[in-house]
Amino acid sequence: MSTLTSCYPADFAVVPAWGNVLARMKPAEHTAEAAAAAERAHFDAELLRRMGRSDREAFAQLYDRFSRPLFATALRILHDTAEAEDIVQDVFLALWEKATAYEVGRGSAFAWAVTLTRNRAIDRVRMRKRRSELLAETTAEDAGTQPSESGPDSSDGLVLKEQAGAVRAAVASLPADQQRAVELAFFSGLTQLEIAQKLSEPLGTVKARIRRGLLRLRDTLGGRQ
Amino acid sequence: MIDEFQEELASLYVLGLLEGEDLADFEQSLARDPALARLVHELRESTAQLALTASDAAPSPELRARLLGQVDTATRWRAQNVIPFRTPVWIPWAAAACLATTCAWLGQLYLGSRFETATLRDQQALAEFQLQSARNQIEAERLIAGHQLSSMTEQLASLDRQLKSEGDLANFKIATLASLAGNSPQALAVAVWNPAKQEGVLTVEKLPALAADKDYQLWLVDPQYAIPVDGGVFRVNPSTGDARVTFKANRPINSVAKFAVSLERKGGVPKAEGPMVLLSQ
Repeated sequence: MSTLTSCYPADFAVVPAWGNVLARMKPAEHTAEAAAAAERAHFDAELLRRMGRSDREAFAQLYDRFSRPLFATALRILHDTAEAEDIVQDVFLALWEKATAYEVGRGSAFAWAVTLTRNRAIDRVRMRKRRSELLAETTAEDAGTQPSESGPDSSDGLVLKEQAGAVRAAVASLPADQQRAVELAFFSGLTQLEIAQKLSEPLGTVKARIRRGLLRLRDTLGGRQ
Repeated sequence: MIDEFQEELASLYVLGLLEGEDLADFEQSLARDPALARLVHELRESTAQLALTASDAAPSPELRARLLGQVDTATRWRAQNVIPFRTPVWIPWAAAACLATTCAWLGQLYLGSRFETATLRDQQALAEFQLQSARNQIEAERLIAGHQLSSMTEQLASLDRQLKSEGDLANFKIATLASLAGNSPQALAVAVWNPAKQEGVLTVEKLPALAADKDYQLWLVDPQYAIPVDGGVFRVNPSTGDARVTFKANRPINSVAKFAVSLERKGGVPKAEGPMVLLSQ
């Protein structure tokens, strides 16, 4: 490993605008969901723009919308509540500092925040040199979806619960081998080879499962983004 | 058209699983291929949704308060460190003045450089003329020196000849001849012999006048010959008894031991017969 972060893509690469994503959705099935998703993405983007103008209230709103999934992701990767909170704190401060650089055409605010969180959490994992320990800790239970805990009563919380349920359903609809490969790739911080070793499968097979799993998730969740 | 391999790379890319050259190559492809960029965008958006499946765990309420406090601090710091800047009215005028000054300076520089170039060109022409003059002068001096050398060579040859001549003079045989006859006690002669030229000069004074059937005859005594060698006959001025004659021996002479003058019959004789009048010492 050359550096802790070199194996990750940039926090946000240049990608086409939202319109391209929406164009991929199945009109009959996802029209209402797509409209709601686009509205959410638009609102998140507006919050970021306001944060760029040092709007404290916008920051608080974005925190309420993103903090749970970002914290849960960091916790799932790090298995440590304090470190997960550190990561979330870093990510929100980065969003506050970099808000002026955000462009809608480069992707959703949520995807940006998740990318920042994953990169930082995985960096932290590797910094702790706990790879071998993690291999042991990544149990069958970790690979599956976590049981829901009591969520907030706010409207944001309810929407979040609804979104999470839909995504869990989409993940659960994947064949077990694809589901396992995708979740290990997203939450474990392991390399391709380590995932193949963990699954006791050839590397090519693991890559193919990840590819098929992500494409299927894209097709399923297209209207929810 | 995106093939399965590119789809696979795009999937690994959004999950942060590409490394090294694979990562660099893919990002280059991504920058060139809009369709591939669109696929990556779609995969990233859908993959980000996986964050919603992690758990319903929430960070502590203190984190929210702490973050908002940090944001407040950062906002205050920004506000305190932002220095409002208003463009002073005089700046455009100052800029125009600077531009005008710069243009004037550049114009002056241009004119100055042109004058300097012309001066340098004149100096170059003058230097070329001086160079040509110097060349001509050197050529003239070379010719003069050639003449002088030739003249000196001639002088040297002349001196050489003179030295040679003086060298020959050293070898000259000079002798005075005194009278042996009682009738001419005052008679005197000087003989000079140049062995290189095999000739000589005889000067006599106060010899008695000759009878019509008589001649004086000069003899050169060379030890290599048994008898004196004939040097020729001569006559003297009857009133003064003087004479100056150039003579030659009738045989080759190596060295002259003595000169002698005898009185002989008219026209001379091969071997001295008459009385000896003069003899060198």
